[in-house]
Amino acid sequence: MKLLVLAVFIPASLIVAGCGGNKYERPGYAYNCPTGNDKKIKSKEDLIKAKLEVAGSLPDIDVVDLRCSDRATLLRIDMDLKNESKDVRRIAYRFRWLDKEGMRAWEDESWKPLLIYGKTLQTLTTMSPSQEATDFRLVIMDQDK
Amino acid sequence: MTQSLPIRLAGAFAICVAVGLSGCASEKTKYGDARGVETVTNQFGSTDLQMIAESMTRSMVNAPVVAAGNLPVMTVQEVKNKTSEYIDTRAITDSIRVELQKSGRVRFAADAAAMDQQIEELKRQQSDYYDPKKSTEIGKMVGASYRLEGNISSIVKEAKGVKDIYYKFNLQLWNIQNGLLEWTDEKEIRKTTSKT
Repeated sequence: MKLLVLAVFIPASLIVAGCGGNKYERPGYAYNCPTGNDKKIKSKEDLIKAKLEVAGSLPDIDVVDLRCSDRATLLRIDMDLKNESKDVRRIAYRFRWLDKEGMRAWEDESWKPLLIYGKTLQTLTTMSPSQEATDFRLVIMDQDK
Repeated sequence: MTQSLPIRLAGAFAICVAVGLSGCASEKTKYGDARGVETVTNQFGSTDLQMIAESMTRSMVNAPVVAAGNLPVMTVQEVKNKTSEYIDTRAITDSIRVELQKSGRVRFAADAAAMDQQIEELKRQQSDYYDPKKSTEIGKMVGASYRLEGNISSIVKEAKGVKDIYYKFNLQLWNIQNGLLEWTDEKEIRKTTSKT
């Protein structure tokens, strides 16, 4: 009888676990993006908030989505920025790269100017510069002032 | 001719005032952000160079020949400057080479510019001053399997106080053995200056 219960329970629990989990999820990752074991990340919004640093203030510009993917041991990142205003906005951005221990993994990138038309979405795409750069932050700043 | 004391004092005062005023008009020097967005003029600048190098490198490490992880050996050839302004294209390829080498995904063989010094050092080590057991051997240099070359071009337009410059940087990775183009990418930059 016990064997019968186990035979039913174990496959059922595996199926439930398989349905409920994300196949990409692994320790230290959320939505396939590195989190550096940040336990506060419960949603995509939390993830974006954790990955974004705004130098000064930057009204009307929002990061609306973030996607990560492994490419040949490097990290590919897509970040969608939306200009909520009707006017063209000019910003500058750069990625900051960290290793698995949170230490700086690459020298400062150059600030890159970016023009975003009013009420449009612009996707920033980058690759991690080396295998050691396993985590990142996007730093953005206003260039209109 | 001797001058009276008041005249001498007046002269000394005038010199002091002149020195003081010139001090007020002196230049101030400050350190800046070497990686900041530079918009002093619309000519090719440091931000353009850094953006090109970074964009090309990140794209190339994703190319199949590099991503395979076989540490391909490359050499850097010329980047032709087809613009109307002077651009140190060697500075661009040097930056690309630095980023690629630091990525740990490629190796670089001595290029044409470094060959003379390489040969000179090899020959020097064959002299009687060196221990033959510890000096490098001739005939052991590794040839590149791939060569990097490219060009930068521009389109400049100017009308009614507005100057528009469009730069296009193109880089190609050629297989030296079979002549196949293994990877290529380009970076476009537009800069517009208007007189206010």
